[in-house]
Amino acid sequence: MRKTWIAAVACALSFGLAACGGSAPSGAAGNAPAGGVSPEGTIKIGSLHPLSGAAAADGQQMDNGAKLAVEAINNAGGIAALGGAKLELLSADTQGKPEVGQSEAQRLVQEGAVGLVGTYQSAVTANVSSVAERNKVPLVIDVSSADSILAQGYKYTFRVQPSSTVLGTRAAQYLSEVSTAANTPAKTVAVLHEQGPFGTAIRDSFTAEAQKLGMTVGPAIAYDAASVPDLTTQMTQVKAAGVDVLVVAGYYRDGVLAAQAVQTVQPGVDAVYGVANGAFDLAQFPAEVGQAGEGFFDANYHADMTKPAMQDLANLYEERYGDTIRTGAVLSYDSVNVIAQALQKAASADPTAVRDAIAGGSVDTLLASSGPIAFDEKGENKNAIPILMQVQGGTIRQVHPDSFAEAAPVYPGQPAPVSR
Amino acid sequence: MTTTAPADAAATRPPLPWGRVAWVLGVIVVAIVLAYVQSGSGIVVSQAVVTGILVGGVYGLVAMGLTLIFGVLDIVNFAHGAFLALALFATYWLVASTGMHPYVALGICTVVMFVLGALVQRGILAGAMGRPLENQLLITLGLAMIIENALLLLFGADPRSVALPGDRGVPILGAVADLSRILAFAGAIVLAGLLFLLLQRTRLGTAIRAVAADQAGAELVGIDTRRIYMLTFAIGTACAGAAGALVAPLVTIEPTTGAQFNIIAFVVVVLGGMGNVVGALLSGLVIGLAEQVGGLLLPGQSPLLSVFIVFVLVLFLRPQGLFGRSG
Repeated sequence: MRKTWIAAVACALSFGLAACGGSAPSGAAGNAPAGGVSPEGTIKIGSLHPLSGAAAADGQQMDNGAKLAVEAINNAGGIAALGGAKLELLSADTQGKPEVGQSEAQRLVQEGAVGLVGTYQSAVTANVSSVAERNKVPLVIDVSSADSILAQGYKYTFRVQPSSTVLGTRAAQYLSEVSTAANTPAKTVAVLHEQGPFGTAIRDSFTAEAQKLGMTVGPAIAYDAASVPDLTTQMTQVKAAGVDVLVVAGYYRDGVLAAQAVQTVQPGVDAVYGVANGAFDLAQFPAEVGQAGEGFFDANYHADMTKPAMQDLANLYEERYGDTIRTGAVLSYDSVNVIAQALQKAASADPTAVRDAIAGGSVDTLLASSGPIAFDEKGENKNAIPILMQVQGGTIRQVHPDSFAEAAPVYPGQPAPVSR
Repeated sequence: MTTTAPADAAATRPPLPWGRVAWVLGVIVVAIVLAYVQSGSGIVVSQAVVTGILVGGVYGLVAMGLTLIFGVLDIVNFAHGAFLALALFATYWLVASTGMHPYVALGICTVVMFVLGALVQRGILAGAMGRPLENQLLITLGLAMIIENALLLLFGADPRSVALPGDRGVPILGAVADLSRILAFAGAIVLAGLLFLLLQRTRLGTAIRAVAADQAGAELVGIDTRRIYMLTFAIGTACAGAAGALVAPLVTIEPTTGAQFNIIAFVVVVLGGMGNVVGALLSGLVIGLAEQVGGLLLPGQSPLLSVFIVFVLVLFLRPQGLFGRSG
């Protein structure tokens, strides 16, 4: 009997370790150096990302992106309006845990950061944004899609990436445009999504817009991204439903499982269509799944590879870190630039002045976007949009809208099902 | 603890109470029929059953080493998932650097992990044997963190994969399954069989069962319990090594990949009866089916919901596990 008890404790503990929410109290910072300029004359910016844990690959990319931005600004002479003051990046590891992110944010603020960028996971960002608000230090969110973060009415939080509402809505529009242009309009759509706030928010916003555009959406199938071992059963449900298009909203590992299940089950859809999918637009994806991922679409926020400055950054990243730059790193790069330009505009390193300058600013971006980064009264980037990408010949190509296209979309994207 | 045969003696009794197996099978059949009524598609249900059995085999495979260590050493080994990750990376490294077949790497992995397990038990855990539960628990937890972060340092955070040459979809009863999954399932059955033979038919196995049943008694009849502890931990870790090589073609390999199996593996261990290797394989199948068929029965819910409904029900009705003897 004792062992059963031990085992029950073990299960409970592993849950606790995996998912305990942050409730660590943290007082307001009382002793940040006045003006935000340290005695050495550098201005500190905090970078909060998951450098270890399950999302470490993305977190490290994003931290590298922030470092490259600081380096570029310093090489160009620092902040001119503050006498050429140099920037200094304080990197912190959130481990992907809300409570760690919260205490690290507090630490960076106490060390004198005039602005924060981060943090990738919505749950972590939610906690960090409350620290930013309490200490009156601006937080520029590079990646975190949950709508709820900016629904708090916070004054010190801004988001560069498009919200899940914008992502889902635009994705439905692009699907309608591309499939109609190919004379095989998508009429019925199945949605396969991870069950967390991200996946369900994308499902809801996509479904709402798709129905307006005359598509029928269903079935919607949820799975647990952290533990799902296989998606063939779910794919067979899609096959049995006989839909035109399969929409997939999830992260990297489950995206790979989805591609494998598509290859095994052959659901017979015209297109596998990711919405803000964490796998389908990464260079690693076609490398890992090979032919199984060919023709997959993804409507997602993305670096605009048609911009020369973006190509330079991609080359620099490749040279420096020996890896292909991901869009997350570009968002961090842009987010640091948002703070730097606000410092320049405010001609002050006082966090509140920086916050006001961010709110009224307009900053050029390396992202595919409908204009420069500019924030509305809620703190959302007004010009953030997703674009459509497709795996073509083993590489990710931008295919839609036309102004961002590197290649024409191939629709239907899936080969006709092989009869078994 | 009772004075008659305690639950600790799990490893000493015949592997399966057949009446209870039949009862479990009956429940599964009812669940499948309900899933058919709910979804109305025979192909979806047969796919769920095939996938559930194959995935369940993987769960059982991962849980076998854990249950052995649990049953004999009384250690809640939180490092089991990290050992699995280590084996995944070892397989990846062997396959990527020498181009060898993943199943050739299986042999190497198993031996390397056996030695590592022996070293870890003798070097790190031996001092904590017989001490309060938290001591060993915290040691294995720390070990898991060290292994995961060492892998992160060495290999970086980018996901990796191992391809099985000639992998393809195989049709079964109107459903399809990847060949790599079928082979991993076969590997799980072979491994369970080997462990069963080892425990039931060899001197070492008899000694292990004796230590599991009664440590003091085993010492009285001249069994070197320290050696048995070391060998059992090594065998359990070698199981994680074999599981890693078999599972490598099925998963995205990251330092945290092993940890994602931890929770399910503990559930499987408890359901199967602590220390019962064949029970672990069977309850792995139960959990795999609960996840897949339950996903159909409760559409829109997390598949894990049905797993934990089954888990809670079993803990409530049979706290010693589905295939454990009453305490």
